[in-house]
Amino acid sequence: MKKHGVLSVFTDNEKVARFFMLMPAFLVLVGILVPFVMGVWTSLTDKKLYATHSNFVFLQNYIDNFTNPVFLTSLRNTLLYVLMAILLQLPLGLLAAALLDIPSRTKGFMRTVLVFPLLIPPIVSSLMWKTMMQPNSGMLNYLLGLFGIDSFPWLTGIHTVLFSLVIVDTWIYLPFVTIILLSGLQSLPSDILESAQVDGAGPIRTFFSIKLRWLKTSILLILLFRICDSLKTFEIIYSTTRGGPMNASRTLNIMAYEEAFRWSNTGQAMSIVFTLWIIAFVVSTYLMGKWNKSGIE
Amino acid sequence: MRKNTGKLLGTVARYVCYAAFLLVILFPLYWIVTMSLKEYKDIIAFPPKFWFTPTLDHYREVLFGGASFSSVSNMPEFLRYVLNSLLTTGSAVALGLVLGLPAAYVLGRVRTKLNEQIAGTFMSYRFAPELAVILPLYAIYKNAGLYDTFIGLILVHQLIVLPLVVWIMRGFFREIPRDIEEAARIDGANEWQIFLKVMLPVVKAGIGSAMIISFVFSWNNLLFGLVMSGGGTMPVTMGILQTMTFDQIKWGEMAAAAVVSSVPGIVIAVFAQRFLVKGLTMGAVK
Repeated sequence: MKKHGVLSVFTDNEKVARFFMLMPAFLVLVGILVPFVMGVWTSLTDKKLYATHSNFVFLQNYIDNFTNPVFLTSLRNTLLYVLMAILLQLPLGLLAAALLDIPSRTKGFMRTVLVFPLLIPPIVSSLMWKTMMQPNSGMLNYLLGLFGIDSFPWLTGIHTVLFSLVIVDTWIYLPFVTIILLSGLQSLPSDILESAQVDGAGPIRTFFSIKLRWLKTSILLILLFRICDSLKTFEIIYSTTRGGPMNASRTLNIMAYEEAFRWSNTGQAMSIVFTLWIIAFVVSTYLMGKWNKSGIE
Repeated sequence: MRKNTGKLLGTVARYVCYAAFLLVILFPLYWIVTMSLKEYKDIIAFPPKFWFTPTLDHYREVLFGGASFSSVSNMPEFLRYVLNSLLTTGSAVALGLVLGLPAAYVLGRVRTKLNEQIAGTFMSYRFAPELAVILPLYAIYKNAGLYDTFIGLILVHQLIVLPLVVWIMRGFFREIPRDIEEAARIDGANEWQIFLKVMLPVVKAGIGSAMIISFVFSWNNLLFGLVMSGGGTMPVTMGILQTMTFDQIKWGEMAAAAVVSSVPGIVIAVFAQRFLVKGLTMGAVK
């Protein structure tokens, strides 16, 4: 059956064949490191976008960042955004998943509707919410007015803008959180649940003492995705406030983008991106480690 | 008796929650769709109008009009953005599958420590801020003549597509029983035949999931377009921003453009929701 020839090593030898199967994607993985390393280097220079010459300034860009109040505000906004997003999305996702886990005739329909926000472009969702959040003519303030509540500044208030953006973020990504938690709930072996019922545990106790524990792996995965994605959130902010009003919604990613393409300070921009990258790297490495270990015990 | 009342209350509470979720998800969508069908005076009306005479003017303007400011071709700008996106995303997904499927097969079937690490690296790229790669890449592209080219964009989109394909497909490949592989080997199939003729057909549904998910996330992306494309390759997500000029936002056209750009996502939600959910959860399995 087997052909003999130069090619036979390539096709018949298990190890060689697998090496070649993995190689192309692996090369892309390595290839991506080239611009990345160049970027690290750029962050140590005073490179301008269209200048051909640049000087090595070592850590000066980073030192400038940490003495720049706009950078510190952006850092604070980034972290606050992540924190609010998690605190809003995890409990709501748990509630939605618990509800959808109950057998019901409407389940198929609910699930189809549930995935809408995840599938339409984030820029569409953001602009959609922006129109509804218009302070004078928007739908949301009109609805609040019906209940006699004063109009809310939403994206135009320096104290409300970040929270308003998190609402948009939650609308978009809650389906993802719910899907992961729901699949976690549905993988729960039924004998565990039955033995809890035999022991006389009510639905609420079952949820907290059994289901929540079972969901540990799913929750870690959600933290991993949602923290890392919120850290670098871009499209929602870019298409609505671009960091305003008065830097109140400026995050590191938005600041880096503007620094590069509005002010042409490539070196400075790279130093901001890498500060963000380091945060994302530490968080993702830690959570991926935890996630890998979870469930083995 | 008391137990029944409790049960009834529980059911009522559940349906109230369902209704609340439905309302929160659907109302914004309803609002932008109606906005795309309203005349300008109805859009800016306050209090907001629920009843209005629908018009298709904004769609006509977005899809067939606007050719006046496009001197390059006679095709309306926005339609060109749609085609740009189709070309970029379609090719990016195809390339991602060609590169990612064999890799996912190896990473899923051979679980050595090194392979686990490679798989982890694919995922860690997914978590890193994209600007860390595409800002320096912008300079490289400008020098190499890849800026504002489809090839350049398709390569950049691998940042999204490849990790998704590898991660999702790894889960599907892992689920295949060893026996199938062994049987094929006894029949004299070589490694490539096993992969192409035995394994790939088994994970057909998985490939569907990976395609759908990577298509959506690649289609929806805005940042790559902003950084890497000029006038020639502009994606549909940037096309929406074009309706917001410096001095005014054309609300109606923006809404129409937004609705058009959401079509692939909505089609997938309605017809392939199962694949989407399966793919997302498969990627979540260790």
